[in-house]
Amino acid sequence: MPSASNDGAFSQSMFDALKAVQASMGGEAGMKLAVSEGMVQVPNAAAAIRDYAQQGYDLVIAHGTQYGNSLQEIAKDFPNIAFAWGTATDTFADKGIKNVFAYNPRAQEGGYALGVLAAKLSKSGIIGVCGPVEAGDAKTYVDGFKKGVTDTKKDAKVNVVYTGSFSDVSLMAAAAETHSKAGADVLTGSSQAVVGAIGVAKDKKAIWLGTQALQTALAPDTVGASQVYDFSGVVKEMLALSAKGTKGGTAFELSLKTGGLKIVYNDKLSIPADAKAAVDAAMKGIIDGTIKPLP
Amino acid sequence: MNELFTLPVLLGVLYSGVRLATPYLYAALGEMFAQRSGVVNLGVDGIMLMGAFTAFFIVTNTGSLALGMLGAMLIGLLMGLLMSFVSVNLRAVQGISGIGLYLFGLGLSSLLFKRLLGSTKAIDGFQAIPIPFLSDLPYVGDVFFKHNALVYVAFALVPVAAFVLNRTTLGLKIRAAGMKPEAADSLGVSVAGVRYFCVCLGGVMAGVAGASLSIGLINLFQENMTSGLGFIAVALVYFGGWTPVGVMVGALLFSMVNAFQLWVQVKDILPSSYRDFVVMLPYVLTIVALVFGRRARQPTALSKPFSRGEN
Amino acid sequence: MVFPKTPMAQLPTGRDRIEELRMVGITKRFPGVLANDRVDFDVRAGEIHALLGENGAGKSTLMRQLCGLYKPDADEIHLNGALRHFNSPADSIHAGIGMIHQHFMLVPALTVAENVALGLSSSRGPLLDLDRVSKRIDELGKRYSLKVQPDAQVWQLSVGEQQRVEILKALYRGAALLALDEPTAVLTPQEVGELFKVLRQMAADGHALIFISHKLHEIIDVSQRVTVMRDGRVVSTHPTAGSTRAQLASEMVGRPVILEYEKKPYAPPVVGEAPRLEVDDLWVRGDRGRDALRGVSLEVHAGEILGIAGVSGNGQRELAEALTGLRPVAKGHVRVNGRDLTHASPLQRIAAGQSAIPEERMKDGVVKDFSVAENLILQDHGHAPFSRGGFMDPTAITRESAALVKGFNVKTPTLDTPTKNLSGGNIQKLILARELSRKPAVLICAQPSRGVDIGATEYIHQRLLEQRERGMATLLISEDLDELLALSDRIGVMYEGRLMAVMDRAEATLARLGLLMAGVSS
Repeated sequence: MPSASNDGAFSQSMFDALKAVQASMGGEAGMKLAVSEGMVQVPNAAAAIRDYAQQGYDLVIAHGTQYGNSLQEIAKDFPNIAFAWGTATDTFADKGIKNVFAYNPRAQEGGYALGVLAAKLSKSGIIGVCGPVEAGDAKTYVDGFKKGVTDTKKDAKVNVVYTGSFSDVSLMAAAAETHSKAGADVLTGSSQAVVGAIGVAKDKKAIWLGTQALQTALAPDTVGASQVYDFSGVVKEMLALSAKGTKGGTAFELSLKTGGLKIVYNDKLSIPADAKAAVDAAMKGIIDGTIKPLP
Repeated sequence: MNELFTLPVLLGVLYSGVRLATPYLYAALGEMFAQRSGVVNLGVDGIMLMGAFTAFFIVTNTGSLALGMLGAMLIGLLMGLLMSFVSVNLRAVQGISGIGLYLFGLGLSSLLFKRLLGSTKAIDGFQAIPIPFLSDLPYVGDVFFKHNALVYVAFALVPVAAFVLNRTTLGLKIRAAGMKPEAADSLGVSVAGVRYFCVCLGGVMAGVAGASLSIGLINLFQENMTSGLGFIAVALVYFGGWTPVGVMVGALLFSMVNAFQLWVQVKDILPSSYRDFVVMLPYVLTIVALVFGRRARQPTALSKPFSRGEN
Repeated sequence: MVFPKTPMAQLPTGRDRIEELRMVGITKRFPGVLANDRVDFDVRAGEIHALLGENGAGKSTLMRQLCGLYKPDADEIHLNGALRHFNSPADSIHAGIGMIHQHFMLVPALTVAENVALGLSSSRGPLLDLDRVSKRIDELGKRYSLKVQPDAQVWQLSVGEQQRVEILKALYRGAALLALDEPTAVLTPQEVGELFKVLRQMAADGHALIFISHKLHEIIDVSQRVTVMRDGRVVSTHPTAGSTRAQLASEMVGRPVILEYEKKPYAPPVVGEAPRLEVDDLWVRGDRGRDALRGVSLEVHAGEILGIAGVSGNGQRELAEALTGLRPVAKGHVRVNGRDLTHASPLQRIAAGQSAIPEERMKDGVVKDFSVAENLILQDHGHAPFSRGGFMDPTAITRESAALVKGFNVKTPTLDTPTKNLSGGNIQKLILARELSRKPAVLICAQPSRGVDIGATEYIHQRLLEQRERGMATLLISEDLDELLALSDRIGVMYEGRLMAVMDRAEATLARLGLLMAGVSS
């Protein structure tokens, strides 16, 4: 994992899923789980991946797009171990590798739904987005979110800032600050650095909409709802396939339809019923295909 | 492009600049004292992380901002003592020991965070205090006089630091220890004592800088939340030519460039293909600062351990 | 009732006098060296007591113990009859002892007043009281003819002025005893004269003064008593009056010393004969980017030694570096044997028949961790006989370097000894061996005897004169006027990057050179 397992975002979403799967399989006795967190340096992560493979773990997950190249190299050397990585859609099957799974949350789906919610909640009609780097699930989330807002309220304005860093908390705080100054009363953002933005949102009494992991606990009076990545289904499926001898080749999509993505409201904040109804309608539309979340 | 130069945007850039400059200012002023006495402490970032965690931890548990601040200062002092011991008594290569201190702070703050808190929850940090009358001034009031106490104190420390350096006997000893320690020593000044004092002062200030993030600006803690801010503070000392006012100008310039790039994006002023260049600006500025820093005024004994009778 | 006061019990600074300081049986050992071996030394109020000895004789070590920088292994220091221990400079300053170090203990970027006030408590508590300090500096300056601007920054001052600041610093602290370590090394002859006036005045006021030097005529000129040290021990202590230079020199070295060289008379160059070294309007930038050389032109002919005098820092170092290819030339021309070498590399210059004795011998002259043999072949290792086809030939290297060590009287235990273990004089002889064995046409020679003992200096001088007779053209850059006067055929003086005047040796008097060194050209 690229950051800490309690980052309230990307790494935590996977960590929570693994813990849940472990619990359902009988705790420590049923499933052995080992985690290397804070792997900012790709070479360190690559070393960890190789170690786990050598120790004979059934499934080795490289949780970060940046680990793809290393994984591709290592997977070749351990054909009997199942590997997985994400967010990604490429299992390297075209390169003759048969033991890599890929998983990809369709962040745009929850993004769209939260966009609808934001449009309903915003009084000023200005909404701020704090992104890290314009790539991966951060980009698809932001694009879906924007479409959700503008499809709901044509004249609403969505201001987007990318800070250029997944980890710079204080810059993310400054981005939220700037949004607030520019009039935004609903904020959202992606990556592990958003805690900075959430702190500012709390300060400015704005509403925060989270993604990746359940962010309510970070600021119970501020977070309105979160899109939660639930990897537990995917992890279970990968373990099942692996047990049957299929070590890779499948690219999983987390979506609202499969239950891999969820919208979780914060009950402490009273969200108007019509807003919730609009979100439900949007989710239904995405699931049955009548709404395309990406432009 | 024209939208950029509207009054609200310019005021916004100034306001954010002043606010963002605060942690840099604490850390860089403290580091400036250490460097003026002849010690480069590259461990600022590590001390900041420990300060940020300590303050956050105390405030989460007690709700007292004052206690949190005190804790951050104390932990900064302890880490300053460690750095002084290594660089003054053990005469270690300061660049290396500073990096060691940084890694120590990074690792320990992460470990403690996991062990003691586990997850993070926003706290009520320092609130903005509008200064009577001044905050009612048009434009200026919004930009300068509606901040929290930590921001005011940071800027108030600039003239204080200049006064201490230039007008007190202690300041004279500090300057001499950093430029020609053997001369200070020959006059009975304790070079080790002066350096201990300055490095510890720098540690305390770095602790406050960390606290200004976790209980002042962001009100949350996250592992490695400084993400290298302390290193930029060290660069700002060079950029500022080792003077308090220079350091302040550097901190403001750097944070305003940061604020500027955020506003450029919020207002969607540049086509997105140019955005990357705007995001790059602060880092370009850091490099420029290091290359064109006013070397001429660098303390001549910077990063050189001193021991009597060796010259 | 009025108590009678002993006349002159107090100094004009208001401090009590140090009637007598006695150091008895001082011993100080460094790893492998006995720097002070049972040294007895004493000085009384009102006298100037000279301490004479070569580099490494133990003079500075003795003084460093007096001012609290070193702790003696065995010591007894009596001040006015009472036993004292100096554990730090603060102790020694408090006892009224002031030390003027050879390398000034001044902070260049601070003002004179700040340098003086450093480390003292202020009348305004934690705040500086520079106004009061400045006033007192002016008073002391008037009393002792030590004029300086209290608010000037030290780096802007001349060397002589900096020395005055050092003396004022000690007087300000109430020093009753002043030890001056090689105070004249960096001064012009006129400045030396002024310094001596100040010292005599201070002695007359009741200060006790220790004057450390290796310059014989200065000791005879200024001191009442002299203590000679050699190899860490005191050789003798006696009144200066009646001593001759030759006598003091032989006490210092331990054998008779030649002070005047026999020298073939100077033959002015034949008209029309091309000079060996020609420098034409040379401009060179210094370390700080300012012009260090501002249009220097000179010629050196075969069989001639051209001496360059000047106070340190007037462009001599940059001149030597430019001529040896270590510093880029901004403007102008340099020709050796008629070939333009203005921008040539050091290697090209060696090939053109030029050799060099660098000022910083440990830095630019030898690789200090290399063995004696390796340093001897440093420049010629790339070709026969030392290497063939890229491989070094150890037999030839040993043979040739043994011959050089013998021929130039380099005292070294073995050829494989690391060069840094040799004494300054022997390292200089090693460099001389390497540079002169090539029989160069031109030699750029900077500060050849700095830090070198009298015996080695004598040897080096003889060798330089020998090469002069062979026809070598020598540019001799030195801050030691005695050396220049002894060796040169013509002498030029550098001041602020310009060559002030070039005159024949016969016309060069100390007074004239001194004025030129201070920038006075008429």
